[in-house]
Amino acid sequence: MKNRKSVSNVIWQTIRKKSFLSAGIVLAVAASVVTALLPPLILGKVIDTITAGKEAAFLLIFSYFGLTALTGFSESLREGLLTVFGQKITHALRSSLMDKYTRLTADSLTGQEPGTVVSRFVGDVDTVENLFTSGIISMFADACKIISILVVIWVKNRGLAIVLAVILPFLFWFTRRVQKNMLAAQVENRRAVGRASGCVPETLHNIRTIHCLQKEKYMTERYDRYIGESYRAVEQSNFYDAIYSPVILILNAVVVAVVMLLSASGNARVLTLFGMSAGTAVAVINYISQIFGPVESLGMEIQTIQSAIAGVHRINEFLGLEEKEDVTGQQERQQDVGEIIAEFNHVTFGYREQDILQDFSFQIRKGEQVTLAGRTGAGKSTIFKLFLGLYEPKKGSVLIQGRRAGVVEEKERRKLFGYVEQTFHRVPGTVRDQITLFDPAISPEMAEEAARLAGLHETIMALEKGYDTPCTDGIFSEGQWQLLSIARAVAAQPKILLLDEITANLDAQTEKEVLQALQRAADGRTVISISHRVNARTGRVITVG
Amino acid sequence: MQKKEKRIGQPDRILSYFKNQWPVLLIVTLTGLVYNIGLLAGPWFEGKMAGCLVDVLGKKAVFSDMLFLVISYVVTIAVVQIARYCKRFYVRRFANNVNRQMKEILYSSLVQKSRTELEEEGAGNVMTKAILDVDDCVEGMRKFTTEVFDTGVALLAYAGMLLFYDWRLALLCMLFPPVSYIVAEKMKGIVQRTGGIYKERSGALSAATLDRASNAITYRVYGCEEERKAAYEKELSSYEKAAVKANIWSSTLPPVYRVISMAGVLFILYFGSRNVLGNGWKTFDVAAFTTFLACFTKLSVKSSSAAKLFNAVHKAQVSWKRIKPLMKVTPFPETEEEEAGGLELSHVSFAYPGGSAIYQDISLQAEPGEIIGVTGAVACGKSTFGKTFLCEYPYEGSILFGGRELKELTDAERSGSIGYLGHDPELFDDTVRNNILLGKDEDPLPFLKAVCMDKEVEEMEKGMDTVVGNGGVRLSGGQAKRLALARTLCHKKPVLVLDDPFSALDKDTEKQVFASLKALAADSIVILLSHRLYLFPQMDQVIFMEKGQAITGSHESVLRNCQEYRSLYEEQEGGKDR
Repeated sequence: MKNRKSVSNVIWQTIRKKSFLSAGIVLAVAASVVTALLPPLILGKVIDTITAGKEAAFLLIFSYFGLTALTGFSESLREGLLTVFGQKITHALRSSLMDKYTRLTADSLTGQEPGTVVSRFVGDVDTVENLFTSGIISMFADACKIISILVVIWVKNRGLAIVLAVILPFLFWFTRRVQKNMLAAQVENRRAVGRASGCVPETLHNIRTIHCLQKEKYMTERYDRYIGESYRAVEQSNFYDAIYSPVILILNAVVVAVVMLLSASGNARVLTLFGMSAGTAVAVINYISQIFGPVESLGMEIQTIQSAIAGVHRINEFLGLEEKEDVTGQQERQQDVGEIIAEFNHVTFGYREQDILQDFSFQIRKGEQVTLAGRTGAGKSTIFKLFLGLYEPKKGSVLIQGRRAGVVEEKERRKLFGYVEQTFHRVPGTVRDQITLFDPAISPEMAEEAARLAGLHETIMALEKGYDTPCTDGIFSEGQWQLLSIARAVAAQPKILLLDEITANLDAQTEKEVLQALQRAADGRTVISISHRVNARTGRVITVG
Repeated sequence: MQKKEKRIGQPDRILSYFKNQWPVLLIVTLTGLVYNIGLLAGPWFEGKMAGCLVDVLGKKAVFSDMLFLVISYVVTIAVVQIARYCKRFYVRRFANNVNRQMKEILYSSLVQKSRTELEEEGAGNVMTKAILDVDDCVEGMRKFTTEVFDTGVALLAYAGMLLFYDWRLALLCMLFPPVSYIVAEKMKGIVQRTGGIYKERSGALSAATLDRASNAITYRVYGCEEERKAAYEKELSSYEKAAVKANIWSSTLPPVYRVISMAGVLFILYFGSRNVLGNGWKTFDVAAFTTFLACFTKLSVKSSSAAKLFNAVHKAQVSWKRIKPLMKVTPFPETEEEEAGGLELSHVSFAYPGGSAIYQDISLQAEPGEIIGVTGAVACGKSTFGKTFLCEYPYEGSILFGGRELKELTDAERSGSIGYLGHDPELFDDTVRNNILLGKDEDPLPFLKAVCMDKEVEEMEKGMDTVVGNGGVRLSGGQAKRLALARTLCHKKPVLVLDDPFSALDKDTEKQVFASLKALAADSIVILLSHRLYLFPQMDQVIFMEKGQAITGSHESVLRNCQEYRSLYEEQEGGKDR
């Protein structure tokens, strides 16, 4: 399969397509690192100047504030550009996920839980966005910050640079440890919170038993126990949360103290490493407190990246699923095959290893009304799916108007087939949208015509906004939804109607109405139905299995 | 770890929660003050040390001066930071305690609401939402408590220190933080608006994805996939636009605010250095200069979180308003164990409020030890008859238990007399043991044996301590029913109403369970609703219900007098009922 996509692929393409944006981000990151580095140096200079008894130059003062401001602005710029970039990436990722989704085989399509699809498309893609906005790029920026500060300190006070180089790894280890423990405590807390909040709907559901057995007190105590569990987990994470900053700041103070002490030692050998002026001392104190922040963020960023990687894996897995055959341009010439509109030629098929249909053949003439009969699981619905081109037979061929069912192009499909499913699949939107399925080729008049045919027009007109009424659960009865399903099927004037046990869940009266609608709809069409004979006079029965 | 809390004085006043937690809050206050005032020590010492370094280099001070300074610096910072640790920890403990108290009050009043209140008046939903509101409310209380110290006290301390050093310069440079605050306040509208749109778009995107996924086959069959893809693309674009707008407003502005409030630095550097040089408003040494500068930097950072204080309070108020009317402590009813007694129904009829009669005119007399079988076709009203004993809705006629009218008993007396097991086993997401005992201190094994479930439980992965899952999902239907029956037997009452407890059992098990029911409930009256009749010959009395009418008597007499009962019975006996 050519050009199989992956997350890194999509990201790389986005970077190339938005080269200016990407360059802008690099610049903004560099600018924010550099501008953050300069103000303490200038401050040091100011202090040295006034210590020497001279007035600090205006230019110096302005450039201190100017650079501080510039740091702020370049941070703003970086954040802004990153947001845009992150959104470009998520957009591109979601587009290619959707593209992939339309190309999945029917098998993979039905194999995906809708909820899982949503979490792939929404949740997992968001973690990839985080990978950029608060993962890799800020990690890079933070690493740059740490290194550049170390370099400046190396120049200004070599001894301190060595001290810091020794401390930083320990600090990083400590940070990660605290963060990991916090994460574990939070996970435990979420679990406990889940238990506690699950308690409330459970109580509502079981209230009769609780009253009956006089367990009000027991239940309250039980609820309190669950809250207590989450409380303990929270307390644990509170402990780590509360301990981290004090430890870091005490460490900060100790480093500052050591440096000050050593530079005041008066010992010439020590001073070659630690000697500095008062101005430098102020600058250095400033730097030391600046270096601890990025270490903490670095830890958080590692966490973000870790969780994002899991998301990336899942997305790549999805992008690697099997695809259906590409039929564009494969359209075989439409042969005029005379009377035969649909046929099975020695078809063998099964979803997995086991075959459902074996060497099965039949032909259906134009305008014929056929019923497929057979026990449950014999493969009646499967025959529909093969006609619709959702699956390819293992052996033999399924032909629609003389060509392979699998190569019927998408835009032609609705003019060819009207498929009434066992249950109505409602789409979000108005009543009209249910009939058109958002297809612009179906005009409001056509939709109305279809509803008339299904015998639902009056019911719809009686609704508050007629065809523009938003569809919600209660507006139609069970049978009326099925009528709507028929309207949907006949809206594009299809040549063949496929009816899949559509009256299975209906009472006798509604069933009659639905069957009447079907007779109107069947007029002049080829009808293949499962279980219910629409027209007893012309109906032919094909037994399956 | 946590002892039982004292009762809250007035649970509908937020102040009483603060009062109740006074020991924790006292620790918070003390450590909060130490920490926030101690924060000044950092800049002060840093200034002193820089000054001392100048002196050492200028030979005006010696190494030991620095040593002293350095040690007191580290010690002070350590004390301040330990105070900070305590403050943070205890503020959160305060929040946890209040959260727990509030939820407990809400839950205990929830659990005492009657089923009709919960279902028909929607009290259940209101309470569920209120419990969620507690989190927001307490979070607000916590932030308020935190910010009072971290923002309020700290800002005052910093401002005080600046004013002390040079009040003119202090006033001048302190002009800027409020400006930044006002700008932030002005921008809040747009931040919230774009944020709202973003949220809405992201909801729409999820909905579109869900639609696409749940109707995938329909779209494919109708050839609408390309069209749907295009529509999804449109959805993505509008989402992207909304997300970029919202995030840019919310993430690019904070640095700008910081820059605005830092503008005061310009004055400090200029006038401050004049102070050091001796031609300004005050005389500074280098130490004072750096302290002043450091102090201001911290103040301007802190001031940006002043907004947080107001937001937190506002949010807490909104959720508190919703919870407040529900915060009432309702004492638990006393549990009553009623003595065994006779049951006498005369001309009992029942209709749901506003509905027509479900059944009419049932009369019956029963003594302890009797088992009464109730049967009839589907929807004949036998389940409603069973529920009548719960007195959820008023009945007509009279039901006397031990000579007292059932609907006139208190809730506690009634639930002490009547045991009820409905269609739904109503199991809890807990262990098998806890589901039977519900807090009783007993051995659950005899009850498991009584319902023929001891072997099955033994084979479960953790035996009696296996968790049955939400509503008992990890059990089969028959197991769930039997577990519920075991629970009912463990909490035996003088009258037991059992609605189809054997429906999912095979015949042999049913017979065994019935035998042990008879033995265990020898001094109770059992009313057994069932649609399977082969146990009915063993019943002391039989009620056959049909179209709201009831025929009462012994099995034989009903068999004789009622054609429908006879044919039903014979059909089940003769036919192979599984």
